[in-house]
Amino acid sequence: MAWKRLLLVFGLGVPLIAVLAYGFTRDAREIPSPLIGRQAPAFQVRLMDGREVTLEDFRGKVVFLNFWASWCPPCRAEARDLEASWRQHQGTDVAFLGINMQDKEDAAREFVREFGVTYPNGIDRGNRIAIGYGIWGIPETFFLDPNGRITYKHIGAIDPELIHAKLEEARRGNVSRREGKGEYRSIQ
Amino acid sequence: MSTARSSSGVLRVALATLLLLVLLPSLAASVEDDLERRMREVASGLRCPVCQNLSVADSTSEMAREMRALIADELRAGKSPEQIRAYFVEKYGQWILLSPTARGFGLLVWLLPALAGAGGLGAAVWVIRRWARRSAPAERPPVDETRAARLRALVASDEVPGNLSAEERRTIETLRELAFDHQAGKLSDADYEELRALYESRAIDVATSSARARAERRLAELEAALAAFDAEAASPAPSSRATRPRTWRWVAGGVFLLGFSVALGVFLTTAIQVRGDGSITGGALTGTGSETALAASRDVHALLAAGEQAMQAQDYTRASAVFRRVLELDASEPTAHAFLGLILLRAGHTEQALGSFERALEKDPISAPALWGKGLVLYESLGRPAEALHVWQTLLALKISDEDRKHVTSVMDEARRRLEGPPRAAAKPVAGPDR
Repeated sequence: MAWKRLLLVFGLGVPLIAVLAYGFTRDAREIPSPLIGRQAPAFQVRLMDGREVTLEDFRGKVVFLNFWASWCPPCRAEARDLEASWRQHQGTDVAFLGINMQDKEDAAREFVREFGVTYPNGIDRGNRIAIGYGIWGIPETFFLDPNGRITYKHIGAIDPELIHAKLEEARRGNVSRREGKGEYRSIQ
Repeated sequence: MSTARSSSGVLRVALATLLLLVLLPSLAASVEDDLERRMREVASGLRCPVCQNLSVADSTSEMAREMRALIADELRAGKSPEQIRAYFVEKYGQWILLSPTARGFGLLVWLLPALAGAGGLGAAVWVIRRWARRSAPAERPPVDETRAARLRALVASDEVPGNLSAEERRTIETLRELAFDHQAGKLSDADYEELRALYESRAIDVATSSARARAERRLAELEAALAAFDAEAASPAPSSRATRPRTWRWVAGGVFLLGFSVALGVFLTTAIQVRGDGSITGGALTGTGSETALAASRDVHALLAAGEQAMQAQDYTRASAVFRRVLELDASEPTAHAFLGLILLRAGHTEQALGSFERALEKDPISAPALWGKGLVLYESLGRPAEALHVWQTLLALKISDEDRKHVTSVMDEARRRLEGPPRAAAKPVAGPDR
């Protein structure tokens, strides 16, 4: 009888602990992206200088695609690093593209001016591009290989060393198993 | 005649147009209502990615609004709700569905509650049946006729054997009183028979249990005597077989509880992160902050500590809110000015940052964060390394941590090199000790 009771307690207790353990060690707000390793969703965007570009225009290049907003502190924190990285890779087979979302156009333009951003930036009106990329935190950055496949996704501010390393991986077509995470803001 | 016909034709066309004009808006409204209903139906099954436990239909966030608009557009374009759901799953994964699909791992979510319900029901039925068995009166065994005859003889005689228990004596007395009442005509035959049968069976039960108690008492006495004999024989008493499983049960229970506590402790400490203000009250689990409590706080020291923690955690929005609250309470508080300056500097507002550092240094000329920040503005933004070096010299004269000292020294070395070398357009941004 005693062993039956023990079996009952362990049979219920161990799975309960396992479920708790799994739940406690997960970030409840994290949404694992199903897009990594897949073809990047196509889009067309109007850049701040008035030009219209499509993702297809960047085919053959390693693409650094960054979603940002002027009101987001981690976006401000990484802005100078992104610009520095762009200057480092400018003229190579790397293309940087910023997508401004959930923002006011004036504020976005002021942000670009304030941080001296020289790589192209477009405004995602209606957030359709952002929804297409499954954005849920900000900033979020996608690395695309020359064939347009997503090789890595980073949520939150990213540093130049990681940008450099992930661009190299994208150039070689290496796909990261999962996304990286820095400091981010939940969008509203 | 032809004029009359043509005028009636015009009238007909006019009437038809009027009817169309009246009906069209209501027709359009009903189409829109239907679209709205279908959009809500799809949206209510999707989880808002930027909210907590809200559907896209219920959320007021901008993202959810855009998602609703997208759903409506897709429905207008002729896409089916399944196709739209599949689109969102493709972008956000199964996570986006409030009701997971009943396939693969998601099947568990559907099956487990049903299994748990069935299990619970089964367990309840089992427990209730066990209780019912216990509380139901045991089937009365047929009265032993020989014992009944002996009892009747005892009742008929006026003797009371000395070895009877008090209860046995009471029952026999009752039976004698019943017989007396029956003889006196106070009890009918039927009532007497019924009552006599009841009390006789009770008397036999009492006699049986008394006999058992007497036997157990004797057995206990015998066991005590045996134990005493064993003790005398000085042999170590072997642990009773009856107590062994009980001990094992206690040990197993203890081990389980210990394991549970350790596991819970480990997982809680790794999962819950201390908030900026040092509290862990729910925020780490729910993602909600304690901004309300913070806004009401008047404790400058606690606020400064919370702000510094937020700075360390790189939560600059919160840090900024905390230091602004400090300045509401004490407009010249130097530490708050200094840290706000560092946040402003980080955000690229160099002029305002410098203003904050100056205000901090007015009140406290040896504020370490203010000296560090002022030096950074002078060096990085204004291109005045000589002045920056002068400010940082003061900082080095203060008591700061070895790590910070090392960092300041390395930045100063860089500034010196820049001062000696050819002038450059812009200095490399320097990440600094924010404390």
